[in-house]
Amino acid sequence: MKKVVLLTIFAALMMISSAAVAQTATGTLTVTATVQGSIGLVFNSDASGVALASGAGTNTATLAFGNVSAFGAIAAGIVRSTTATNFTVSSAVDVQVSKTNSASANYTLKAQLGAADAVNNWSVGGIAVTNAAQSTLTATGTYGANSNFPVAITVPFTTASGTLISNTINYTATAN
Amino acid sequence: MTMLKTYISILRGTALAATLLLAGSALAQTTATGVINGVLVNKSGISLQFDSDPAGVTLGAAGTNAATVNFGNISAFGPLAGGVTRPSVTAANFTVRTIFDVQVVQGGLNSTTYTLTANLAAAAPTGLSYRVDAITLTTVAQTVQTNAAYNTDIAHNLDLVVLTAAPGAGGPAVATPLTTTINFTATAN
Repeated sequence: MKKVVLLTIFAALMMISSAAVAQTATGTLTVTATVQGSIGLVFNSDASGVALASGAGTNTATLAFGNVSAFGAIAAGIVRSTTATNFTVSSAVDVQVSKTNSASANYTLKAQLGAADAVNNWSVGGIAVTNAAQSTLTATGTYGANSNFPVAITVPFTTASGTLISNTINYTATAN
Repeated sequence: MTMLKTYISILRGTALAATLLLAGSALAQTTATGVINGVLVNKSGISLQFDSDPAGVTLGAAGTNAATVNFGNISAFGPLAGGVTRPSVTAANFTVRTIFDVQVVQGGLNSTTYTLTANLAAAAPTGLSYRVDAITLTTVAQTVQTNAAYNTDIAHNLDLVVLTAAPGAGGPAVATPLTTTINFTATAN
């Protein structure tokens, strides 16, 4: 009789124990990634220049001078100079290059026109740029700071009024 | 007379027995019977597996409970592998994300939902932290989801938050694969 009672208690405990244990399942997910150093370039509006028409804070921006002339009214943010044969309009444009996961101390910035322009002269940061080859704007750019590289266009007086001048300037920053 | 009756009775009995034997022999050629007493013990339980999500990286060993996910090369500004996105880039860090699915199946339980927890198997590599559904993982298990449904793939975001500092300055090692194991546990509610 005593054995029967003990067995009954044991069985009851087993049932309680079984019910109390939560059912679980496990899994492992092994995650692998390879970090690479990188640098990024964005254009920002410069406080002293024409506000970028679009793309400020990105690497694809638009600078619109609007209507320009040798002697007429000119928009705020545009600097103009005139000679006997042409006039130049210029606007400050900020370039900011950021680095990540890199020990690079500075960067080299180059620019090149997207298409040839046989009529007007273009410059960035005072350096003439064409579509023939990249022009070096700086070899010691500072990371993480806005650097002003004014964009300038020199237009001959022979250009017909109402002529649209448009081109693309491609910038390349390379970590040193 | 009595003996004759007895003799006839014996003959009848013998004939009947012979008939039955013949019949039995004929039946034995086409029929066999047997009985097996089978005993089944129904064991309840749940299982967990990882599945590739259509929007994420294709998992290695998908469909098992020991899968792998490789983000490939990651950086703040460079190209990323398919299935990897970059939700944010700040001066201090950048985040890359992929999506994976977890499916938990149960049998023999009254449970209708489960709780999912996760933890890192070991401390994260320098400059990296791991998040599942915005929960930053540590080596201590944390709840990722409660009341999760059984028998269906449930998508989870897996984020790697990478410091932008250079190696040796608080940032992660570069140009070398960094591997971490995440342990998941599903518990029936």
